[in-house]
Amino acid sequence: MVKNPVTADTRPDLSVQLGPLRLENPVMTASGTFGYGKEYADFVDLRSLGAVVVKGISLQPRPGNPPPRIVETPSGMINAIGLENVGVQEFLSAKLPWLHELGATVIVNIFGNVLEEYAELAKRLDGAPGIAALEINISCPNVKHGGMVFGTDPVMSGKVVEAVRKATSLPIITKLTPNVTRIGDIARAAVDSGSDILSCINTVAAMAVDVFSRRPKLANRFGGLSGPAVKPIALRCAYEVIQTVPQCPVIGLGGITNAMDALEFLLIGAKAVQVGTANFLQPGVSIEIVKGIERFLQVEGLSSVQDYIGTLDVECTFPFAEESCSLLDLGENNA
Amino acid sequence: MTTKFQEEAEVLSQEEMAHQTYRARLFAPRIAKAARAGQFMMLTVREGLDPLLRRPFSFHRIQPDEGIIEILYRVIGRGTWWLSRHKPGDRLQLLGPLGNGFSIPGDVNGPAVLVAGGIGIAPLFQLLRELGKRAGGSPADQVHLFYGARTAGELLSGETFKGMGISLHISTDDGTRGRKGTVTSLCFEHLEQESIAPAMIYSCGPLAMQVGLARWALAREIPAQLSLESLMACGIGACLGCALPAPHPHDPAAEHYIHVCSDGPIFPAGAIQWSRIQSQQIHVPTFLYS
Repeated sequence: MVKNPVTADTRPDLSVQLGPLRLENPVMTASGTFGYGKEYADFVDLRSLGAVVVKGISLQPRPGNPPPRIVETPSGMINAIGLENVGVQEFLSAKLPWLHELGATVIVNIFGNVLEEYAELAKRLDGAPGIAALEINISCPNVKHGGMVFGTDPVMSGKVVEAVRKATSLPIITKLTPNVTRIGDIARAAVDSGSDILSCINTVAAMAVDVFSRRPKLANRFGGLSGPAVKPIALRCAYEVIQTVPQCPVIGLGGITNAMDALEFLLIGAKAVQVGTANFLQPGVSIEIVKGIERFLQVEGLSSVQDYIGTLDVECTFPFAEESCSLLDLGENNA
Repeated sequence: MTTKFQEEAEVLSQEEMAHQTYRARLFAPRIAKAARAGQFMMLTVREGLDPLLRRPFSFHRIQPDEGIIEILYRVIGRGTWWLSRHKPGDRLQLLGPLGNGFSIPGDVNGPAVLVAGGIGIAPLFQLLRELGKRAGGSPADQVHLFYGARTAGELLSGETFKGMGISLHISTDDGTRGRKGTVTSLCFEHLEQESIAPAMIYSCGPLAMQVGLARWALAREIPAQLSLESLMACGIGACLGCALPAPHPHDPAAEHYIHVCSDGPIFPAGAIQWSRIQSQQIHVPTFLYS
């Protein structure tokens, strides 16, 4: 691509402000796809990323689900890892210090079985050196309510956010699940209860079966679909959320594999993006996406990513002919 | 663990070595210099997003001075099928070397026994090259390879092992080559008949074979190194997909998993909770991809 001569030699400003959270660039890595960061140290300078979101942490360590835990599907994969993690104690003592010393921007994803666990986790992480924000995973079953997923009910989602809000002064991101009828309702509840930021979307509920063995391909039967196959769903969900709560910064994720995908989310108004499954295809992809966004801004002649965010044009249906926009004066009685 | 590289490899050759079994020779000098027997790499089998994920392959042969690595693989699905279509001159994206390797004891204090089931010969071949060098004249120095498959057509030719200084024993389930029966029964009976007490067992093959071998070795307190496999997404210890059940370090009743890519792929016989292994994904019948 030919760079715009006005901006060709300048470095565009990639910094973004997500409420109380400022990031050097809008690219983060998604929870569950980047371990605790160190796993990718040979491929990525973690400090060059907007932020690293670590694997979801619970109060107690969790072993995860029996295998098979993953299955490839067209343009995607389904995972039923089972939220395996080392638990908050070992995270604080063994995983976080390395990240903190390195100087990476760390966001800690948290989850629990009941409301009290979310609050307790937030309390323990509040004040720990090296944490920039918390991301609340509400795609978990509420054990006290028959296993109903927190994030499918606006009231329960609100309660989780409220509990975490009371326990910490860190910026709070609520990660929304697409497996709902009206994601805008969940978004509104989270924002009303004190969520500073929203991330959208978590995985899409999915299943795979084997016709020869006649069994499900996952030991857990169900899992979460991720990868390029979900991008159109993620984009739509993020757009709905942005329209519903325009005052709340939204992080877009779901199927981003290159800079163009990331820019699509920024275009509709997401202030940042997360890259997940793509890290398995190419461990250095997150940095490539940062560079790709920078190059795009230079080509488009923009000096800052903020000048591009949210500039989706929904008005004009004939973008090539300026005159035709005024010609098509569709009055109220025109079909 | 060693540094991992991303390297673009050139396909030097691709040969069909046995029924649906291919050997690809790749020029990848950085990985070739770093790789050790027993390790593996994640390979992009086709450009683009379909198939989405890389596939894991063990190093079949490592030639660090020439910058060449070989993989031996069986076509069992879409990924391996696409891989088998590559011609010399094609480029493949490699990620490796990954995992731990076989650990070869410094002192030779007894015969080494290798057990290969079907495509399990793949990672054992490089190990054989290294062990065979040290094999001497006495029985204590001997390196034995017990190599079996379902039928003769699936086996590599005997020529492959000529001049390696090893003792080769062949079996086929249907008796079309070597002894009729499983490779483990061949191994157990031969060791007993010849009163061979192995100093170390190295094995790779179908899970059912590994379970039997592990239990046999544990019962006789013979050290064993098993090369295991699992479905993988990342191969670098991040996604946690390649779990296998294992005894919990402190609590025998608790559920616990190890990860093949980062804790293995080489495991001692007692590292896996064999009683809790559920059947992994059944391979698609071979006629679909021949």
